[in-house]
Parts: sequence; C-alpha cells; structure tokens
Amino acid sequence: MKALDRKLLRDLWHMRGQVLAIALVLAAATATFVLSMGVHRSLVETRDAYYARNAFAEVFAGLTRAPGSLVERVKAIPGVRKAEGGIIQYATLDFPGRPEPVRALINSVDENGRTELNKLTLRSGRLPQQGAAGEVVADESFVKANGLTLGSRITALIYGKQQVLTIVGTGLAPNYVYALPPGDILPDDRRFGIFWMGQKALEAATDRTEAINSLSLTLERDARVADVIRQLDALLEPYGGTGAYGREDHLSHAFLDNELVQLSAMTRVIPPVFLLVATFLVYIVLGRMIRTERTQIGLIKAFGYTNAEVGWHYLKFALAIAVVATVLGCVSGVWMGRAMTRIYAEYYRFPFLTYLLDPRVFLAAAGLSFGAAALGSLGGMRAALVLTPAVAMTAPPPPVYRRGLVERLGRRAGFSAVGHMIVRHIARWPGRAAITVFGVGLSVGLLFATTQFLDSSRAMLDGFFFRAQKQDLMVSFIEPRSEAALFALAQIPGVLRVEPSRAIAVRLSHGNRVERGAIESAPPDARLSAHIDIDGTEIELPASGLMLSRQLADKLGVRPGDRVWVEELGGRRSRQALPVARVIEEFVGERAYASEATLLAITRDAAPVGSALLRIDPARRDTILIRLKDMPMVLGVSERDTTFARFESMIDENINTMLAFYISFAGAIAVGVVYNSARILFSERAHELATMRVLGYHRREVATVLLGELALLVVMAVPLGCLLGNGLAQVMTAMFSSDLFRLPFAPEPASYGRAVLIVLAATAFTALLVVRRVMNLDMVRVLKGRD
Amino acid sequence: MNFHGEDLRKIYRTGETEVHALRGVDLDIEAGEVLVLLGPSGSGKSTLLNILGGLDRPTSGLLTSGELDLTALDDAELTRFRRDRVGFIFQFYNLIPSLTAEENVRLVTDIAESPMDPARALDLVGLAERRDHYPAQLSGGEQQRVAVARAIAKQPGVLLCDEPTGALDSATGVRVLEALEAANRETGATLVIITHNAGIAAMADRVFHFLDGRIARIERNAVRTSPGKMTW
Repeated sequence: MKALDRKLLRDLWHMRGQVLAIALVLAAATATFVLSMGVHRSLVETRDAYYARNAFAEVFAGLTRAPGSLVERVKAIPGVRKAEGGIIQYATLDFPGRPEPVRALINSVDENGRTELNKLTLRSGRLPQQGAAGEVVADESFVKANGLTLGSRITALIYGKQQVLTIVGTGLAPNYVYALPPGDILPDDRRFGIFWMGQKALEAATDRTEAINSLSLTLERDARVADVIRQLDALLEPYGGTGAYGREDHLSHAFLDNELVQLSAMTRVIPPVFLLVATFLVYIVLGRMIRTERTQIGLIKAFGYTNAEVGWHYLKFALAIAVVATVLGCVSGVWMGRAMTRIYAEYYRFPFLTYLLDPRVFLAAAGLSFGAAALGSLGGMRAALVLTPAVAMTAPPPPVYRRGLVERLGRRAGFSAVGHMIVRHIARWPGRAAITVFGVGLSVGLLFATTQFLDSSRAMLDGFFFRAQKQDLMVSFIEPRSEAALFALAQIPGVLRVEPSRAIAVRLSHGNRVERGAIESAPPDARLSAHIDIDGTEIELPASGLMLSRQLADKLGVRPGDRVWVEELGGRRSRQALPVARVIEEFVGERAYASEATLLAITRDAAPVGSALLRIDPARRDTILIRLKDMPMVLGVSERDTTFARFESMIDENINTMLAFYISFAGAIAVGVVYNSARILFSERAHELATMRVLGYHRREVATVLLGELALLVVMAVPLGCLLGNGLAQVMTAMFSSDLFRLPFAPEPASYGRAVLIVLAATAFTALLVVRRVMNLDMVRVLKGRD
Repeated sequence: MNFHGEDLRKIYRTGETEVHALRGVDLDIEAGEVLVLLGPSGSGKSTLLNILGGLDRPTSGLLTSGELDLTALDDAELTRFRRDRVGFIFQFYNLIPSLTAEENVRLVTDIAESPMDPARALDLVGLAERRDHYPAQLSGGEQQRVAVARAIAKQPGVLLCDEPTGALDSATGVRVLEALEAANRETGATLVIITHNAGIAAMADRVFHFLDGRIARIERNAVRTSPGKMTW
C-alpha cells in the first residue's frame, strides 16, 4: 500500500466519529431513496407482471343484461383485441350470530379455466366444477378474516334466492387488487369478499341463461381508448350500458395508482433534503481537515506530489465516506422497504409481493451518495490545490476577531468573557454557524413535515366522517330504487330518520375532455349529510347548475361559469349543457353534485335513490342490522363509526412504522450535524479550553463554552426549522394529493413541539458525547503542542 | 506562597516506554521569592512547574504549599487551587483570540476570589491604552504582557512562567520581565521562571540548575539585578 493511502486510512480512523456522523446523514438519504424507490419499483413491477400474467383488461363496462352473443359484436369494434363477457352479481351472506350484513361480489368464471381476461389465480383448492351448483372460489383475505376453510358452507342470498355456497378454492384476480365494499372507502375483509362461481351456475342463480351483465376488453397496441369507449357505449345503449371506462377509472387500479403517486412524491422530496445536508457536512469537515493539514500538504507537495495526486487523496477521503453511507443506506433501506412492503401486502392483494432487490436502485443510490460526497469535497480540494508548499508550511495567521454584530447592536451587552467567546466565535464563522443552524433546522423541518401528516389525516377524517356524514348507517341498494324503498326503511323500529341519496351515472365533457362519473344529490332539507370543503367550511348545494370537486373541475378544465355537457348514462340518455356553479375543494374523490331540482331537470323524472342515510337508535343497532340483512333490495350497509375506527387503526398502524422511520432519519441529520459542529468546535478550541482549565476554570465551566455555542445555534435553528417544516409540509401535502384523496394542511401546534423536542433530545445526546472530550482534556499536552 | 517538596518523581508512560521526567527532587521555595529554573530541554523544569501549579501530579513524593497537601487534592480541588492561587504565563501567551486584552483579563477576574480591577492589571503591564485590542492586533510582546496582566489580576500567591520571553526579542523580553518583577514586588507573589536563557538568572534570588530530572545545583544571588540592567 502506498504511504499516502496508509495516511488516508489512518485519517479516516482518526476522524471515525465525524466520518460516521456524515455517513449517517448520507446513509439516511440513501436509505429513503432505496426505501421509496425500491418499494415503488417493487409495486410497479409486481403490478405489471401480475396484470400481464393474468391479463388484466383495459376497458370495462357494466350493463343490465345482454345476450352472450353480444361479445362477438364487441370484438368487431376496431382496436379491440380481446373481449369477454360475464356476470358480476352482489350477494348477501348469512353468518349466523353476526348482525351486520356480509356481502360478496360474485364473478363468473369459466369452469374449465378458459377465462381469457382478469384471470383467476388459484391459491388453494380447485375451480368450481361444471354442473355442481353452489361451488365457489373465494378471495384469500376474506376466507382468512372469517376463519373459513376449503369445504366451508355459507348460506347466501343471490338475486333474491337463497342458496348454499361451498368454498372449493381460494384465489386472487388482478381486477381486485384493492377490493372495496359498496359505498365504502376502505377494504373490509370480514364484511366483504370477492367470489368466483362457474359461469353456468351463476347464470342459473341470476336467471341470466346465456346472458351477461359485464364486459372486459383488451385493445390493440395502437387503439385509442376513448374511441373504443365511444363505440362500445353506443353498442351497449340498448342493453342498459352504464358507461364503459378505462383502467384509470377502475377502482382497484386507481387506488393502487394513487399509492404509487404518493410513493414517487416521497422519492422526489425527502432524499434531496438529506443529500443537501450531507453535501454541506462533507464540505465543512473536509475544509476543516485541510486547514489543519496545511503543513502536511505543503510537505507532500514539496516532496514532488502533483496537485492531481493531492486532490485525489482528499477526494478519496470523501468517497470513503460515501462507501460507508451507501452500504449503511442500502442495508437499512432494504430493511425498511421490506417492512413497508409487508404493510402494502396487507391492503393490496397480490399473489406475490416482495421487496425487489433491484441493482439499478442500488446503483442510483450509490451514484447519489458518491455525487454528494464529491460535490462536498470540491471546496476543500480547491483549498488544498491552491496552497503552494512554501505558504503551506508556515503557520496559518491567527484568526482575526472583531466585535460581533450582536455586540454592536446592543453595546455593552453585559456579556461575561465566556459569553463574548461564544458570540464572537459564531460571528467569526457565520457560514459555518449558518450551516449548523440550517442542518438542525432541516431535521426539525423534516420531522415536522412528515409527522404532521398525522394531523392532516385526522383533519381529513374529522371532516369526512363527522362533519360531512351525520348518519349512523348508509344503506346502498342493489339497484336504484324509488321513494318506496325509503318508506320501507323508515318502518324498521329504531330508525329515527331516513334521507335519500340520489345519484345518476353521467358522462361529463368539456371541449375534448371527457370524464365519467355520477352526479349526486341530497334533499334540500338534508340533515344527515353535508358538503365540507378542505378548510372545514360547510358548502350549500347550488340551486341550479353543478358543483364539481376541484379534481374533477381540473380534469375537465372548467371554472365556475363554464358550461359542461352532461350525458346521462342509462335512463333516457338525455344530453344537455349545464353551468358549473361552484368548485369545491374536497378530501376524497372526483365528484359532481347538483340540487334535486337540477337532477330532476336532467332525468325529467324523479331521480332514483341509490342509497339511503339512516339515523338510528343505537340501542337497536343489532336488530336493525338483522332486518336490513333480510331485505333483498339492500346491497350493503356501512356503519360510519366502524368505518372510521378501521380507518383510524389503519392510520395508527402505518403511522407508527412511518414515524419510526422518520424519527430515525431526522435524528440522523441532527446527530450528524451537531456531532460534526461540536467536534470541529472542540478541535478548534481545544487550546482555548485547555487555557481556561489552566486558569482555574472547572470542567463544567469550560464545557459551557462549547455547549453555549451549540445551544445558541440550536435555539436559532428551532424557529427556522418550524418555518422550513411548514413550507416542506405544504409542498409534500400538495404532492401527496392525488385523484382520490386530497389532504388538508392542518398542523396541530403540538406537532411543532414534538419535532422540536425530538431534535433537541438528539442534539443534547450528541453534545454530551463531545463534552466527554472536554472532561478528558489533557491540559499539558494541548498547551505544549501548538498546531 | 511557599512550597515544600520531598523526593518528587514523575514517570510518563507512553505506550511501552517510560520517561522519567523527575527523578527525586527535594525543594523548598519561600514566599515572595524569585526563582529561576535553568537547564536543557527535557531536564524536568516544565514538569516541576506543572506540578507546582496543580496542572499535573507527581507519580510519587510529597508536595505541600502552606497547609495544603497538593498530592492529596482531587481534580476539582486542584482546579480550585489554580483558580485562587496560581498565575500561569506561557511561551506562546495562550490568549483567547476572540477576546480583547481586557476581556482576556476578565476571563480570570470573573472567577477569582479577590481579583484586582482588570484595568489596573493592564495598567501594571503598561497596556492600559490597548485594552480594547484583540490578540491579532497586538505585537508578541504586548500579547505576553496581556498574559502577565491576566496572571497577576487574580492576585495569585505564585506566578509560574514557562519561557515567558522565549518568543520575544530582548528589548520586548525585558519589558515583560519588568512587568513580572513589578508584580512580585507589589503583590508579594512568589515568582518561578523557566528559561533557557542564563542571562535572566541574574534577576532571581536563587537559581535551580536542572539536569536529567534532578536539581543538580542551587545558586544564590547575593543581589537581584533588575531586568532593565540585564543584557543577553
């Protein structure tokens, strides 16, 4: 080994504390990158492989009823590669002893496994046999959540008829990666399952011999989705088509996509913050190292080493840090990625979901960390290169101090001599102080920005569950009903109030932009529902015209006052232009609303009731649920409070993992920055501190010089951190918003406090590590060795 | 302040080697005495000075100052001893660069038992008008005089000086020595000076000649020469 390399290794070892502290920050950057990028890639690749292997369709359509032969006509539409018809039917399952209704969505499946699209992957058991009535494959999560096994029998009410179902297999399909119960926004494995029944058996159970009520299509590579949808809709119109839609409107796909958007937002925001701090740290530490090594640099150059060799020597120091960081970051990133993937696997149903060890992710991570280290070393290297041997070998001039700004502002500030030492040292190297302040501030900011999502979620849940929804139960109907259904519900003892929730399926268009959706409405005297915008304000439905959610308005490119074409899907298929009366910032979904009068003008008939909101006497909940379960028209019942509780527990579970990650990340920054600042401070001041000890200052008093400066910097960092955190949180909140969810920015003051306290604790811990050196300061040696 | 030492030994261990810095020193230093320690590098002068000042402890032997057994003091007590009784002056001044001349003196008067006014201490060394200057704005001699002012401001019992003129030219060095002598005269502090410079020995009451960790010879001057009349 060359002597210079030996020196490098010893320098690294000698400065191991600082090297490790910088590596920690850089590793945090690498880890967040590996974590989010790796999870993102894992999800995308798993999804793509699953979609491809199981032939996930590209266009979907629902209809009331059509002959099976229609599929051939669909195949004839230009651009369609494959088309498959089938039956999808909701059923009510009876679990004795459980009052709440349990629902299943039954899909038809070819008994011989010849299904071409949205193929079922069997996880256990077998497919239903042709001719054997009541055999079903059930989704794995439902089977597990309800303690069922192969061979379990369940009584089901399908299409008004009671039938006993036998579970002969468990499976998964790509169109149900994320399976939502009707009218719900969270999966509920106990109350909602996906079933697959033999084609013939389901035809018989639903009186649809040789008939279908759903279509799935894949397209040729060059086909335009919108064109196919338009032609398909025209074809399905006589059969009660409810509007075909592409993958982006497919519920399961959209939810998954939403998650991916958030993950990629995380990849773009968090690692750069860490990289920035790490770069600064390398810059400071290497700069300082080169200052103390002037003589050696002069000597090395005097021996005849070239500038390039000297520069490369110091660059290697930075790169060595990057090596440590890359290894640490990749290992911890993979570890955290695995934990996160496990959480995803609970909510998204893939036949396989593992954290992929993608070499490209590691390479990119290594590239980033090497880049940051190299960038940080530029300043120090430049300083080493411009030193000429003669200059380098003379002692550096003593630092020149002036009265600091603080003292000039408050002349005769009454500082003690120690106070002056602290303030002037900061004023003497303002750049370095600024970086410490900035670094600690960033760790406060990052911690705040990530943990305030807890507040965002709480505000969203509060708005969504308690202010917008005032009902106890929401009952959705198998098919849209007339007013009579409401009376039937009102008859149930214990039901205190019933309000209809009307909705019609529509296609909205503006210019060449088309969106499929529903226009929802509530009665003018509605007391069980309200429209709450993202700031928590209650918004009235406009008397005329439409109210669109911000997401929908943006997609259509409309503003209040613009007119939108509204085409009714199903029903009379009327088409008319309506003005946009108002745009509302909402938490969830892309939605459109109108008053009941406006709805009536569209349908020219009383709009059907899709669901009903109920206020009930809590004491009679169980009997009411049992009654509802027995009503054939009822598709699903969701209880606001249980949905809320599930949401809460999901957030708690995920947030705890997330909090643990981010606390350790922010801690890494705080520790890295403070440790380096303190070490540099200590090595620069060792001489002064030893002098103070000689003059009769106790260790404790000497430590205040170090701690005082650090404390002052950290105190300055706190407000800066809160400001940075506020800004970062707003950016992240905006980036995390997707088509499905929009998060409010509503931080609680306590969240600032929590971030500050955690960082203060990390800071105090680190400072104490360095103070230990003050305790062990060897006065005699320091005073003898004049650097 | 007086000192009494018996068979003082100091062994430094660095790795596997042992360095015997003091090999059995017996001494008596009287209060108010001016003492010069002469001897080649490594002969044990600085080690003795550090032990006298409570910066270091002897490996074995006895050392008392008045009623105080310096070898029995713990770390905090030694710090207390330095804080209240000892003034140090080093070859390289060891001023705090971020403090002005006066503030460097205040660094000591802030914590001492019965200090003098920092302005007076600076006046004693002839630097009253430079009190607001930072070390970087002062010449070497001026910096050393600030160090003297800092050492005498606490009104110490003993002033311990390690090569106080080592980095100075002779004219400047004389001014520093005059300041030290004035302090000895006016505060009655015992003055111990280490030097390589035999010329300085003339200002002492007694001269200890060091060799190989021992006091080889003690010389007593019948008359002390004032620094202004010394040449080297």
